Amino acid sequence: MEVQEEPSIRDTFKMSRKYLIYILMAAPAIAYVIGLSIFPAITVIYDSFHVNGQLSLRNYASLPGYGLYPSIVNTLIVSVGALIIQVVLALAIAMVMVKPFKGSKIFSTIVIIPFGVSTIVSAFAFSLIFQNVGGFANGIIVALGFKPVTWFSSTLSDLGVVMFSDFWKNTPLVALILYGGLSSVSPSLYESASMDGAGPLSRFVHITLPNIAPLLSIALLVRGVSEFNIFALPLVLIGYHPLILNTLIYENYSTLATRPISYAAATVLLAIIMVYSILVLRIGGAKQYAQ
Amino acid sequence: MPSKTSPGIYVAVLILAVIFFYPLWVLIIIAFVPTKYTFGVMYPIQLPLIITLQNVINSFREVDLVGPMIRSLEVAFIVGLLALGLGVPAGYGIAKLTARISNKLIAFLFIINMMPGLVIAIPISLYFYSLHLTNTVLGVALAQELVVLPLTVFIIMGGFRSLPRDLENQARVDGASLGSTFVRVLIPLIRVPILVAFILSWMTSWDEFTYAFIVAPIVPTHSTFPVTLYNYVSRNLPLQSATFALIATVPIIIMVAVFQKYLKGQYLSGGLVG
Repeated sequence: MEVQEEPSIRDTFKMSRKYLIYILMAAPAIAYVIGLSIFPAITVIYDSFHVNGQLSLRNYASLPGYGLYPSIVNTLIVSVGALIIQVVLALAIAMVMVKPFKGSKIFSTIVIIPFGVSTIVSAFAFSLIFQNVGGFANGIIVALGFKPVTWFSSTLSDLGVVMFSDFWKNTPLVALILYGGLSSVSPSLYESASMDGAGPLSRFVHITLPNIAPLLSIALLVRGVSEFNIFALPLVLIGYHPLILNTLIYENYSTLATRPISYAAATVLLAIIMVYSILVLRIGGAKQYAQ
Repeated sequence: MPSKTSPGIYVAVLILAVIFFYPLWVLIIIAFVPTKYTFGVMYPIQLPLIITLQNVINSFREVDLVGPMIRSLEVAFIVGLLALGLGVPAGYGIAKLTARISNKLIAFLFIINMMPGLVIAIPISLYFYSLHLTNTVLGVALAQELVVLPLTVFIIMGGFRSLPRDLENQARVDGASLGSTFVRVLIPLIRVPILVAFILSWMTSWDEFTYAFIVAPIVPTHSTFPVTLYNYVSRNLPLQSATFALIATVPIIIMVAVFQKYLKGQYLSGGLVG
C-alpha cells in the first residue's frame, strides 16, 4: 500500500507544481486587468452610493433631473438602430465577399479599411457629410433634383445621424465575423437547393441564416456592448443634445460639483451592459468561449 | 466548383465600395481642393477637379501635427509590446490549465472586455493623477493596455491550443526545460497569432479615444492624435483636421492592405467562436 501511495502523492505534488507554473504565467495579465478595471469599477460604484462619506441614494435620486431617462432611451435607440444597419450592410458585404469576382481583393481592402480608422476621424468625416446647410450629403441630394434635408432637426433625426455614421467604422468587424460563417457553407448546397426550385429568398432563409446564426449572435454580443459605449461619435456629431448615457456621464464628470452624479450614471450604464451581456449569452447559448 | 459570377454582383460591389470609400473621399477633397470650391460654396465640389497642396502646407504651419503623431506612435508600440509581454505567457498558461479553470478565466476576461470605457477611465485617471501618470505617454499606454489585453490573451491562447500536444512533450522528452521549449519551440510556431495580436493592439491604441481623452486630456503638448484631432475639430479648424485625419489614416490603410489576410472574424470576436 505504502509503495503505491508514495508516487501518487508525489504525482499530485508534481501536478500541482506544474499547474502552479501555468497559473503564475497567467497571473500578471489577470492581475493587471483586475487592478485596472475591477478596482476602478468598484470605486465608481462605491462612490455613487455615498454622499459626504455617508451611505446615500441621493446621487441616484437626482439622476432623473440630469436627464437619465431620455438618455437611456436615446442610448437604446442608437444602439439598436446602429446594430440593425451594421448587420444588414455586413451581411451584404459578406455575401459579396464569398463570391469569386474580379477585383475582390481591392473590394475587401476598401471595405475593411474603415475598421482601422479612428472614431474621431469617422465622426469628423460625417460631420462634413451631414450639415443642415450645405454639406456633402445635401450636395448630392440637390444635384439629384431633391430638396435639401435638415439632418439635425429633431431628437430622433439627430440620433439617426449618429446611428448611421456609426456604420462606417464598425460594419467591417461584423462583416468579417459573418464572412467566417458564410465561407464555410459549401456552394454545392446552394446549387442543389436552386435545382430543387428554391428561390433566392428561400435559399437565404433556409441555408444562409441557419449557417450564420451562431456567428450573428457573437457579432451582436461584441458589437452590442460597444454600441452602448459609443462616446466620441455623439460627442462630435451632436454634443450634449440629445444626451446619451456616455455624454451624460462625461458632461457631469467634467464639472467637479456634479462628479458624483456621473458616478451614479456610470453605475447605471455598467448595470445595463451586464444585463445585456447576460441576456445575449443566455439566448445565444454561448457555450462558445474559445474551445 | 464556384458558380459563374453574375453581373448583378458587380452592381452590389460598386454600391458597397462607394458607400465605404465616400467618407475618406470627403476628407481627401477637403484636404486637397482649394477652399473656394469646398467651404466657399453652398455645396462642396464632389470631385477633386482642381488640386492644391496649399491646405496641407498651411495646416502643418498652423497647428502641431507631428508631435501628437509621434506620441501616438510611442503609445501604440508600448501598448503592443506590453500586450505581448503579458499576453503570451498568460495565453500559454491558460491554454495549459484544466478546462474548468481556463474557462472561468476566459469568461472573466470576457466580462472585463465589456466594461464601459468611460466608467473605467474616470477612476483610473484619478489613480494615475496621484502616480503622476496623467498627461504622459506611459499613462495613456497603461490605460489602453486594458482594452487590448483580453483580446491578446484570447488570440495567443487559441494559437497555443491549436498546436499538437505531442510536440511539446517531445521537446521535453528530448531534455529541453519548460523555458527553452517555450522560447525555442513554441513561440516560433505561434508567430502568426503573435503578429495578429500585436497588429490589433497597435491599431486599437492608434485609434483609441476614450481612455486617451480622460488620462491625457486636451493639453496640446501631451495628447495623442485622436484627442488632438478632437481638439482641432471642436475648435472648428476643418482644413487642419482633414489633413491631420488623412495623414493619421495612412498607416492604417497600409497596415490593412498588408495584413488583410490576418484580419479574420475568428481573431476579432473576442474569444467567442461559433
